[in-house]
Amino acid sequence: MAGTSDIAIVGFAQTKSVRAAADGEVQLLVPTVAEALERANLDRREVGFTCAGSCDYLTGGPFAFVQNLEAAGAWPPISESHVEMDGAWALYEAWVRLQHGDIDTALVFGSGKSSPSKPHEVWAQQLDPYFLAPLGVDPVTLAGLQARMLLDAGKATELDFAEVAARSRRAAQDNPNAQVSGDFDVDALLKEPYVRAPLRRHDLPPISDGAVAVVLARGDKARQLAERPAWIRGIDHRIEVHQPGMRDLTTSSSTTLAARKAGYDGGPIDVAELSATFSPQEVILREALGLPAGTNVNPSGGALAANPVMATGLIRIVEVAQRIADGDVNRGLAHATGGQVLQHNMVCVMEGE
Amino acid sequence: MSDAPPKEKLVMEHLVSLTYEEELTPILERYVDALIDGRIVGHKCPQCGRVYVPGKGYCPLCVVPTGEKDEVEVADTGTVTGFTIITPVAYYGQKETEPFVYASVLLDGANSNLGGQDIVGIPHDQVRSGLRVKAVWKPKEKRSAEGVSNRGWGGVGSAIDAFEPSGEPDMERAKFEEHVF
Repeated sequence: MAGTSDIAIVGFAQTKSVRAAADGEVQLLVPTVAEALERANLDRREVGFTCAGSCDYLTGGPFAFVQNLEAAGAWPPISESHVEMDGAWALYEAWVRLQHGDIDTALVFGSGKSSPSKPHEVWAQQLDPYFLAPLGVDPVTLAGLQARMLLDAGKATELDFAEVAARSRRAAQDNPNAQVSGDFDVDALLKEPYVRAPLRRHDLPPISDGAVAVVLARGDKARQLAERPAWIRGIDHRIEVHQPGMRDLTTSSSTTLAARKAGYDGGPIDVAELSATFSPQEVILREALGLPAGTNVNPSGGALAANPVMATGLIRIVEVAQRIADGDVNRGLAHATGGQVLQHNMVCVMEGE
Repeated sequence: MSDAPPKEKLVMEHLVSLTYEEELTPILERYVDALIDGRIVGHKCPQCGRVYVPGKGYCPLCVVPTGEKDEVEVADTGTVTGFTIITPVAYYGQKETEPFVYASVLLDGANSNLGGQDIVGIPHDQVRSGLRVKAVWKPKEKRSAEGVSNRGWGGVGSAIDAFEPSGEPDMERAKFEEHVF
């Protein structure tokens, strides 16, 4: 979607992803939201619009998303919204809201505790209830089918998958918020047994609990609140057909289109944070985006190092914004995904001034 | 108008069972330990002084963190702020068969209501807002953590069966009106 390009990220914070947080989801969000607002030098009462992304099915708490709002402080009453999606889409909604021009700040957060639930039970409910959900088709199986198609098409090898995993987790050693990190030898990884052939354990994301918060501001307000705002030059999202059997799982046409609409059509870019939750998906996304070989992909470690579902995509945006704010890069791209095996994809292009 | 034969209605049952397992948060663990011990504890906001039972780890109005240092005990007596008499209907998992009271009880010392409390020892048509009540505790050996989870904000059902009239005069409406939904 074309819109104004004077909306920027001026504050952010995230929790360290862990396998199982002792605290409840709201308790994770309270300090995270407070830290993001503090970084943005913004009092919560000045925020024009609040939007959150989360999924009650992860913790099994009906209306958990309503409680999550307590982290933003909803008294006196605030203008807010929620998406049952990754926080990246909450950011998108806030970005759209800011287009109206009557408010100039927004608070966005994404959170999720996957630890209490079994992914193969919960995620199967996302699929159509007639043919796929009753089969109990779980995300690892779907990703395995996708990986198999990639191998059969000659587009990648199992070594490629292992190299994505090893590189990601090596990079994650420099990320204090990452959950899984370390120096792994690719040959040793390839000797491990399959979990769901052709996927091995290292090809899978960890199960994570985590939260992330972002503050957006427009124009001069952004310049006032942050020394080096990360300007959103373009943001777009596209969705493909729901039935995985009706798509080419070895490509991601929605990612290509979203990127183009967001202003990225391949070529050099300082950094790309991609929500590849399974290692083969990084191969697919690199091609879909047209990233040149040698692009700095997922210096944070990406989703293979930490996967707090409903926060993962927004964290990719934050990882790019952080590098712009620190002056390490000038232009970056973040990718978020929803649905199964890259059904729904968002690309956000950010720049320093 | 078509001559097509009437279509059969197809109904497919799709029963879903999702399992959730997690440990109580540290705050709820302390809350349950106190309940088993016969005490009801909450958190007092260091900024506004409101007491939430159980503690949430923050004050939702001030959005400041609260912790063990803010833990306070509240009485096991209180006031019915609002109630309804529920006539059970059959549904999968329904355990109730007789009408029962579903009351909000404002414990003395707390600013948050306890929801869903049964009021016993009084005919249903005499239950009223303002009624002063006291907890009917389970015997200590029957108290547990059962039913307390991180969903919602606790409850006392694992240690307290119901509330019954305390015999005190009703509380004036002005004193609890703010807590009536």
